[in-house]
Amino acid sequence: MDNEKLGTAIVITSGKGGVGKTTTSANIGTGLAALGYSVVVLDADIGLRNLDVVMGLENRIVYDIVDVVQKNCRLKQALIRDKRHEKLYLLPAAQTKDKTAVSPDQMVELIGDLKKDYDYIIIDSPAGIEQGFQYSIAGADRAIIVTTPEISAVRDADRVIGLLEANELHDPKLIINRIRPDMVKRGDMMNIEDILDILAVDLIGVVPDDESIVIATNKGEPIVTEERALSGRAYRNIVRRITGEEVEFINLEADEESKLSKVFKLIFGK
Amino acid sequence: MGKDSVSIKGVAEGIYIDVKGNDLDSIVGELELKLKKSGEFFKGAKCLDIRGEEISKENSLEIRLLLKYKYDMKVNIPELFKIQPMETEKAKFSPDEKQTVFNEVEEGMTKFVHGTLRSGQEVSFNGNIVVIGDVNPGALLRAKGNIVVLGTLRGVAQAGIGGNTKAVVAAYSLLPTQLRISDIIVRPPEDDVQYKYPEIAKVVNDKVVIEPYLPNK
Repeated sequence: MDNEKLGTAIVITSGKGGVGKTTTSANIGTGLAALGYSVVVLDADIGLRNLDVVMGLENRIVYDIVDVVQKNCRLKQALIRDKRHEKLYLLPAAQTKDKTAVSPDQMVELIGDLKKDYDYIIIDSPAGIEQGFQYSIAGADRAIIVTTPEISAVRDADRVIGLLEANELHDPKLIINRIRPDMVKRGDMMNIEDILDILAVDLIGVVPDDESIVIATNKGEPIVTEERALSGRAYRNIVRRITGEEVEFINLEADEESKLSKVFKLIFGK
Repeated sequence: MGKDSVSIKGVAEGIYIDVKGNDLDSIVGELELKLKKSGEFFKGAKCLDIRGEEISKENSLEIRLLLKYKYDMKVNIPELFKIQPMETEKAKFSPDEKQTVFNEVEEGMTKFVHGTLRSGQEVSFNGNIVVIGDVNPGALLRAKGNIVVLGTLRGVAQAGIGGNTKAVVAAYSLLPTQLRISDIIVRPPEDDVQYKYPEIAKVVNDKVVIEPYLPNK
């Protein structure tokens, strides 16, 4: 585009529902803003919006993405500034409309406008591969696939990677969410290698299953700012990798072991 | 009333109906008799006025409606009584549109909604809205007049659309995501205490205030 600021639009997608796209979007957006970047998180799940709730901004919504594309309001009017981060904005989805309200072309135009003013546009895509998915990926420069270590989620992720390639969105990154190192160790859960073997894409992060995510989500405060939580640390690492930094992966198993050994020590006094 | 309580006078522009007394039944009876006798003659005719010293406004209106709808005559129906076209459930009025102010807060057209409004459901109405049920988060109520929820209001309620600051929002349990009255938008404070009694929200000095409407309960 012009010689104005040219941000990067990243779509967070999965195919399967309930794997943590919205949580991931909120955390990546918040994490990038915490590093000082200007960020818009865009909820593309029209009719089933959640990103506003996860970010604790639901009660500030006046205009939404449909109002913007239908020119009922100016883009800046619909952007909601985050409670904690000055450079973080939410563009909420409409709840009383459905996915036919926005077309891929309108999305391309909208994201083009946002990219002129913000460093990162994080697009929280809806589940599925229908119209909502199509317009979500339309304006994106990069894609992040979220999956859980379940065969069904991995299967859907694989389908989505194929669709992204067909839409000229190459080299997507993978987040494996909600992994439980203890189960992997026992052989009860797919391990990272198994998943990468099937999907054959670059891994950008592994987020452990963590109760504190549920708590943070219910409070409307993304975990990424929580210093102590392991999942928060995992998200912070993902964010740094997005900005191009090389960050070592957390050794979840080692961490789990140390935790266990601590417990053992407590119980058996060893 | 005896005979000849109704007479029809024709002039170049149309007809006048002169009536004596205010007894609707006898006037209508005689009028219908006269109209029947003349067959199709008055069909499409323009009735200029119902004249009579004793006839009440209500009875005059009854006669006008009869002439208009039964005998197909052209009749002026006074503005006040005009039957408003029913708004459809999703009547569109965008916030930017210039609207005439809906002044009726004490009375006016009211839409009753039975059952719970869930996320994504929207009710818009050109008058008041009464919900017999709950309004869940993600649901939207838009009224030009008042909003009353006989249940818990957790969604977004927008009353007094078009600039009516007299509009109110009342609910058995008023816990909205956001409240809008006229063009004022408010949201509950972050550390909102949830009250157990019915409350009403209204505009006082350009601010939305919420107070119990049954202070002794």
